[in-house]
Amino acid sequence: MEPSAFWHRIETLAAWLLALIWAAPLLYAFWAAFHPPHYAVHFSLTAPLTLANFVEAWQTAPFARYFLNTILYTTTTTALQFVLCTLAAYSFACYDWKGRDIAFALILIQLMVMPDQLLVVNYQTMTALKLVDSIPAISLPYIASAFGVFLLRQNFKQVPIALAEAARVEGAGPLTILMKVYVPLSKSVYLAYGLVSVSWHWNNFLWPLVITNSVTTRPITVGLSIFGSPENGVNFAIVSAGTLMSVAPLLVGFLLFQRQFVQSFMRAGIK
Amino acid sequence: MQIEVRSLQKNYGRVKAVRDVSFDVAEGQLRVILGPSGCGKTTVLRLIAGLEPVSAGSIRIAGVDVTLLPPDRRNISMVFQSYALFPHLSVRENIIFGLKVRKVPGPEIEKRLERVIELLGLGQRLDAKPGELSGGMQQRVALGRAIIAEKPVTLMDEPLSNLDAKLRNTMRREICALQRRLGISMVYVTHDQVEAMTMADRILLMREGRIVQDDVPESFYERPANVFVARFIGTPPMNILPLCNGGGGAALAPDGPVLYPGLDGSRFKLGIRPENLRLADEGHPAVVTGKEYLGSDTFIACAINGHEAIVRTRGMSDLAPGVPIHLTWDSKTLCLFDAHTEMRIEDAPEAEPLP
Ligand SMILES: Nc1ncnc2c1ncn2[C@@H]1O[C@H](COP(=O)(O)OP(=O)(O)OP(=O)(O)O)[C@@H](O)[C@H]1O
Ligand SMILES: [Mg+2]
Repeated sequence: MEPSAFWHRIETLAAWLLALIWAAPLLYAFWAAFHPPHYAVHFSLTAPLTLANFVEAWQTAPFARYFLNTILYTTTTTALQFVLCTLAAYSFACYDWKGRDIAFALILIQLMVMPDQLLVVNYQTMTALKLVDSIPAISLPYIASAFGVFLLRQNFKQVPIALAEAARVEGAGPLTILMKVYVPLSKSVYLAYGLVSVSWHWNNFLWPLVITNSVTTRPITVGLSIFGSPENGVNFAIVSAGTLMSVAPLLVGFLLFQRQFVQSFMRAGIK
Repeated sequence: MQIEVRSLQKNYGRVKAVRDVSFDVAEGQLRVILGPSGCGKTTVLRLIAGLEPVSAGSIRIAGVDVTLLPPDRRNISMVFQSYALFPHLSVRENIIFGLKVRKVPGPEIEKRLERVIELLGLGQRLDAKPGELSGGMQQRVALGRAIIAEKPVTLMDEPLSNLDAKLRNTMRREICALQRRLGISMVYVTHDQVEAMTMADRILLMREGRIVQDDVPESFYERPANVFVARFIGTPPMNILPLCNGGGGAALAPDGPVLYPGLDGSRFKLGIRPENLRLADEGHPAVVTGKEYLGSDTFIACAINGHEAIVRTRGMSDLAPGVPIHLTWDSKTLCLFDAHTEMRIEDAPEAEPLP
């Protein structure tokens, strides 16, 4: 056998193995959710299929409210990120002002700070703002996203200056130029960034756990954990059913728009 | 005057891109700014457009001092070198972009669009994106966007430099025809002297941020201000030959015929266009050094007293390198330049006819 063909096989094998390890928890969740609780720890091909776990999960916890909270939190966060990051990136990419480079360096530093490190400080800020246990409180720490500013700035910088100048000669003001030239030309970046942001915040756990403590604010990740915590007695079948329900919207969305997502990621240059 | 530029200066840090430039553009005139790369042509245009602030000087458009006004209040439209078409918008949206931004009413937009489409022959491709069009079509869309605004002044920065030679000729004629038809005052930047000579009502030749000559095209050809202009205009350029002292005056060779009796030859240079040199049985002696056959013409390179000169002859030539020849010319076509300053001598005496 040729050495290159050999290595190719090894690579393929490794890729499959990695994919399997990656998918294992999800596959297990599927198994546990669709079978009676008894089969959660014991594999049998003849096990009967059932939807009872989903019904029970839905009835045990206020899932509908959790979903609503997650949707509110995720959409407001992403929408506010779009607005704020667009404006900041526009200023960094197209305007020359005193201290611009220092400000941008600070933003880059923020990229390197793990959000978890700021948990306590953020909590103090929210207390000061009297926002503890509210949906805006979950969003606020994230809306000035360094990643978003950086990504959009890089993209805006690639837009030829002549386009902005042409628009300027035609009578467009700064905001019109932004909305009619820069934003439409960065559509694929917005799509890719939006996807990253939505999936990240949909799955966000630690900060929402700390800042929320009532049903009306808790996102689904937090709700799920309370309901699966040991003091309630862990029923893996029901936890799995709950988990599947919570990731279903993302999963379905991704499967439907897979091709567009991958393409826009390629175009946006995030790999 | 449609545009009046006075003592314009522009510095980028220590680089003096434009130093003291003044000129006028008359109403309906096609004014070409010509010059080698880096001489400041684009900078002058951008200053007129208001895309850059001036370092000193003033600009008036249609009698209004616009020096401090933003581009959209200067009553100008502009065509960029790269066309600057919006890639995400269709041809139609590109052309009417400015009208929509300025909130021109819908029916008025349609009326103007129809006219522009007819003028430029863009009918079939209105819904295409710029990326799907050929270079020539993109150029037309850029022109369309400039003329639909119906501004009295249009600025163009090397609009043809991205096109191939054949298309360039066609578009050159189209732009000229359009400019005449609409009576626009146009400032057209190019580094191509052929474009300048064929299109311009008046040319401004720049070098290193300064004006070298501001004149009508014929004068550039017949009465170049200095050696630089003489060499810049014309293909092949004007022959510049140093003079020396012959017997009793300035001559091309110490033993050759005297051209300017009583003149100190060492202080002057002689200029003569290749097409004004003729092969003859008698005249000034020279030796063939090479030739270039172009089909309709042949450029014969020859040495006059060791200095190279090009002679333009019709059709083929069977002269081989090393063959001695004789050249004649019409004395009226000679230019005399100062050997030191390289400026043309305005009141030069007419040269003696060749024996
Ligand atoms: N934004 C800028 N910053 C610094 N220097 C500049 C800038 N724009 C132009 N220059 C300098 O100014 C001088 C004139 O430039 P300009 O672009 O006007 O030349 P040009 O005649 O248009 O040349 P080309 O034929 O290459 O387009 C050049 O030396 C150039 O390097
Ligand atoms: Mg230029």
